[in-house]
Amino acid sequence: MIRRRGFNAGLLAASLPLPAIAQSAGGTGEGRRGGDVVVAQQQQPPSLDSQTTTAQAARNISLHVYESLFTRDEISNPKPELAEGYDMAADGMTYRMPIRTGVKFHNGKVMTSADVKASMERYAKVGGSGDILKSVAAIEAPDAKTVVFKMAHVFPGFIEGISSPRAPFVIMPEEECGKPAGQTVPPMIGTGPFRFLEYRPDSHVKLARFDDYVANTAYDKRDGFTGRKIAYFDTVTFRFMPEGGARTAGLQTGELQVLESLDVAAAKRLKDDKSISIYPVMPWGFLTLMMNTNWGLTANLDIRRAIQSALDLEEIVAIASDGNYRLDPAWQYAGTNYYPGIDGLDRFARPDLAKAKQLLQAGDYKGEELQLVADTQAKVHLDAGTVAAEQLRAIGMKVNFRTMDWPTVIATRTKPDGWNLWPLVMGIEPYEGPYNVVGFFAGRQTVQIKQDPVIEDANNKLATVLDLDGRRAAVKAFQARLYDQAIAIKVGDVGNIQATRSNVRGYAPYRIPRMWNCWFA
Amino acid sequence: MLRLLFPRLVAALPVLLVVSLVAFGLTLLVPGDMAAEMLGPSATAPDLARLRHELGLDVPPLLRMAHWYGALLRGDLGRSVLLNQSVAHAILERLPVTLSLAGIGVALACLVGIPLALLAAANAGRAADQAAMGAALAGLSLPDFWLGLVLIWTIGVKLEWLPTGGWVSPVDDPLGWLRAMAMPAGVLGLTQLGPIARMTRSAALEVAGSDFVRTARAKGLAEPRVFARHVLGAALVPILTVAGIGFGGALGGALVIEQVFSLPGVGRLVIGAVLRRDWPVIQGGLLLTATVFVAVNLLVDLLYLWADPRLRER
Repeated sequence: MIRRRGFNAGLLAASLPLPAIAQSAGGTGEGRRGGDVVVAQQQQPPSLDSQTTTAQAARNISLHVYESLFTRDEISNPKPELAEGYDMAADGMTYRMPIRTGVKFHNGKVMTSADVKASMERYAKVGGSGDILKSVAAIEAPDAKTVVFKMAHVFPGFIEGISSPRAPFVIMPEEECGKPAGQTVPPMIGTGPFRFLEYRPDSHVKLARFDDYVANTAYDKRDGFTGRKIAYFDTVTFRFMPEGGARTAGLQTGELQVLESLDVAAAKRLKDDKSISIYPVMPWGFLTLMMNTNWGLTANLDIRRAIQSALDLEEIVAIASDGNYRLDPAWQYAGTNYYPGIDGLDRFARPDLAKAKQLLQAGDYKGEELQLVADTQAKVHLDAGTVAAEQLRAIGMKVNFRTMDWPTVIATRTKPDGWNLWPLVMGIEPYEGPYNVVGFFAGRQTVQIKQDPVIEDANNKLATVLDLDGRRAAVKAFQARLYDQAIAIKVGDVGNIQATRSNVRGYAPYRIPRMWNCWFA
Repeated sequence: MLRLLFPRLVAALPVLLVVSLVAFGLTLLVPGDMAAEMLGPSATAPDLARLRHELGLDVPPLLRMAHWYGALLRGDLGRSVLLNQSVAHAILERLPVTLSLAGIGVALACLVGIPLALLAAANAGRAADQAAMGAALAGLSLPDFWLGLVLIWTIGVKLEWLPTGGWVSPVDDPLGWLRAMAMPAGVLGLTQLGPIARMTRSAALEVAGSDFVRTARAKGLAEPRVFARHVLGAALVPILTVAGIGFGGALGGALVIEQVFSLPGVGRLVIGAVLRRDWPVIQGGLLLTATVFVAVNLLVDLLYLWADPRLRER
């Protein structure tokens, strides 16, 4: 679990104690086989073709079925899963990976390097993070248990990239790899501890324990998405339940045993209920306010700085997260490889209205409307937008707060004009490390629309500098630039709350509700 | 009967054509696509472009339109990449859920609403009338999501009498199906009860003053029999209209109720498709809704023939 190191943790984290069982879970041989566990999640996955989608709703399910060469451990560092490790050539142009032997797919076939090669080639074609494989010139399978990646150019983020669970680089049988995007379900054949049984869109996905699962003996316990996985439940059903009240009711009656997410009010109400265990997950994501530096008011640096000075970040994040937050100005999580430190940046959490008004004057603000866009599907975005709009009105800005559905917001914010401010929780990206955080602000389609030379340089260094310290310096430069140029505002870290019936033993909260290494009492 | 049906069927064709054009037009007007939904907000431009190409989203609109109408003429509503199944299959798979919900809900509304309205009409202006119509109005005014959540909390969680949500097939477990449908259909029934009861009362009051009703009373028929046989029979046409509209609307998707009770029905299918920009499903869902309304209207017209002998004689 990611270590908590808050600067000003919200009230909720203090009021919801982590069950003691979560601290000790993950070992082997302590559980009891059997039972049908039902997990409820809010959304239906847009696709179960794991390679093609970055949706959390898909990850929850597919990472029980599929595995990758590398994945992330409990604190999100890359760790081997189907690979035994890797050797990188001194020039960074070749990665040689021995793969585990005797690993079986759900169709009974033993995995070989040919399957790995075909899976990675399919990913390059349809994968949600296929850009990462642009650095690969060729994939070779010199023998059944070795895969070699010949690089087109040096890319030090290669292992971090292919280990990311964002749109996971999952391995499937070679014969499945010719299928077009979205058409691997059914049968959804992987090497994971659970195998696919059925998919009823708008209702559920059902998995069954894969009795021929070959656990990774390089580990002695569960570790993030990897480790020694043991499936105890006979079946796992993921039900799609959009209504939060219905999910909570289902947990209370015992129709559901695990909730991917419990709202804060329900968590507070149920914290003394002995039949339910509540698991806060902090941090879960960054709450941010993205600015369009290309168009309108926010193309003006003084105005952006006025916005930066006007906002009371704690008020925004406290309301938007219902109190499930902590303030941390860093654009990486504390304790991870690329944490850039904060260097006094926590001063931005406090508003300075006098300075904000001065900056508005300096920016020659004449009452033009600021276009704030937010989606109506995520309460956290809507609330953050609402509070930010009010705070900006308080310094005399006119704000046009436009709400729309999520796909429309995405389409709007990719346009070079028509919007200035956009609240967004970055969930999986900061968990992955710096590549998709810095990458969000760099390249052909930057979130702030107008490329920034310092950020482009930081992104290039991340992609080319082999030395870790050099890459850390790039992340630090990126973070300093975001604050100095007020390109985006990190409001705070928001948490998530997972919950189980208390007879689910061995459970530990994580990015997905992991149904391996836990069992019914 | 054919004389009645044929012109209506012919009139339905332009309606369906307009709906299909609107459905296709929406795909051009509404921003966003399923590739962006699949890849999330931080997707890179090359990744988006690659997936759009793989999913065929970069095909020019006119060509897409030609493909779609060509497929429609062959009776093919298209294929959902996200669901990895044909749109027709996706809709047919969910139809039993929606049919169960709409059928039981509207039946409950009729079974309760019509007697309640007749009771009110028979006691017009008295306390019983006000109480009955007050109850019907309450059913109409209560928001269905709120009512659903209250029922889940009380009957599902506190009393543990019924499951809090989910779908059980009547083929697999008939009793489980009834238990699963009881609360959602009850909520739908309550929301439909108001219009049915009010329309029935108003129609019954209008008929109650007719000469033939006075004659029936003069012949010594008991008041309940007068209302049940003569008043109700003559008031059936507007009641059928309201019930038909309610049934058609529910078949098109009792969205909120399906969401609250986690029922995988047509409404959830279509709203999920809208949020994911799954255009084939949206287009198919809109066509289905239009077709259902046309079909229900036809059915109601046929029922008019049964309810009103004068229409049969025309």
